[in-house]
Amino acid sequence: MFSPFSINFESPTQWHGDLPVTSRYTAGIALERFFIALRDEGKILGIRCSRCSKTYVPPTLFCPQCLTELQEFVDVGLHGEIYTYTISYRNLDGSLSNAPQVIAFIKIADGGIIHKIEGIPPHQVFIGMKVAAVLKPTAERSGSILDICAFKPFG
Amino acid sequence: MEREVAIVGVGWEGFQPTTPHYSYKELIYQAAQKAYHNANVDPRKDIQSFVTVAEDFIEGTSIFDEYTPDQLGAVLKPMHTITGDGLHGLITAYLMIRSGICKIAAVEAHSKASNIKTLSQITHYALDPMLNRPFEFHPDFIAGLEMARFLHEAHITPEDCALVVQKNRRNALENPSAPYGFDYRLEEIQDCQPVAYPLLESHIAQPADGAIVVVLASREIAESLTVEPIWILGVGWCNDMYNLEYRDWGHLPYVTKAAQMAYHQAQIQTPSKKIDFAEVDDLYAYRELMSLVALGLISKHELPDALKMGKFHSTGQLPINLSGGSLGMGNLLEANGLAKLVEAVLQLRGQAGKRQLSFPHIGLVQSWRGIPTSSAAVVILASS
Repeated sequence: MFSPFSINFESPTQWHGDLPVTSRYTAGIALERFFIALRDEGKILGIRCSRCSKTYVPPTLFCPQCLTELQEFVDVGLHGEIYTYTISYRNLDGSLSNAPQVIAFIKIADGGIIHKIEGIPPHQVFIGMKVAAVLKPTAERSGSILDICAFKPFG
Repeated sequence: MEREVAIVGVGWEGFQPTTPHYSYKELIYQAAQKAYHNANVDPRKDIQSFVTVAEDFIEGTSIFDEYTPDQLGAVLKPMHTITGDGLHGLITAYLMIRSGICKIAAVEAHSKASNIKTLSQITHYALDPMLNRPFEFHPDFIAGLEMARFLHEAHITPEDCALVVQKNRRNALENPSAPYGFDYRLEEIQDCQPVAYPLLESHIAQPADGAIVVVLASREIAESLTVEPIWILGVGWCNDMYNLEYRDWGHLPYVTKAAQMAYHQAQIQTPSKKIDFAEVDDLYAYRELMSLVALGLISKHELPDALKMGKFHSTGQLPINLSGGSLGMGNLLEANGLAKLVEAVLQLRGQAGKRQLSFPHIGLVQSWRGIPTSSAAVVILASS
């Protein structure tokens, strides 16, 4: 049993380890279409499940409710509504951020997109606010969720 | 109500913000020894199967399940590890006993959170790599989004969440195993740094180290042991869709489904009348309130008044998180569910010391695996 009087504090009590982890992720058929449409056409795509009467954004190859294979991609436009939002004061490593960031779930059809809200002071953002995606110029897009710069108030 | 499987032993080590002298194996060893002593069983001779819960990235070791037999007395015996909360492990052991695979089993969960130097990065790595990770947001943004929507729909305020923090950290003062007990004024809680508005630093359970081992037995075995059995009346578990983009941010349907499964088995039609006390998820203060609604223990519209009237206090009509919850005991990672289960067992045995309720009969325990998961487990326990 451990006794605090038996510890030699000069002896090694800890060892540090780390593991560089690098992975490749396959977008899959549905998300690949989503990212290509965003990059090449500046469109946000969803996919329709007629059996459940739902349009999933981002698209998925199968309906998670009824498991039907889905094929009906639809352009859902660049507009949505802030369903919920937060103001993040932390960087990824836990340190305090110099520039608090408004992050929102923007509801589009029966899904939506998690993204930044810009172009408005954080205290003026509200649930239900209409917003629109602001895209990077075509030449700068790479087929990434970051091809959308941010969402900004609309209307 | 069926009484086929009972908890016959509990043991735990901790809980502490740090345990610099003990390895995780030593923490588990000590918890196991206490549990086996509590149940009056010999692990090498009596226990027929073992279940542990762990997540490799949290442990800092690949294929961590290979590291678990030695300290439990499980070498060369049937055992396996699942990635889930301790309550998921408990339910797995329960099912093995119900199915006749074994008659007595041990379940283990632990946390060596103080050894994790990059917990926020590990949580970030659990997010969708293409849709969510590219932003490199601190993962607590997910709790901020969920809290904001819940407050919006339930007409709850951040001040109401501060009442949860105050209650649980005061409850922890009566729990010798809870390191985060404190008698805060509401203003002190509300003046804390924002993390992800409306989420404040004070609303978040802080990490803690510890280990918990629970011994379960069939009725035949339980009734032959000297310890008072605590019966498992019902179990339930459920997962929602993983994608953040498909979530219902203002509700916890997976908690509701898990609870309904457990209530059905326990033959409980009106949980708010049958449950004497509950230990529920409070990794973030607002989650306690969301969970209570999802569990059917209160409705959204009753919640604000119930909070102000102290319904969930130790002397209230429905005491919640008498242990101090995760806000008071600390975030024990995959061991959170078992930490709450230990409190329920102690309450039902009449061994909860200063925080003991008068003759509780039925207790509910619910856990969640934390952000970004949508997994829940529920267990309903009863005294003899």
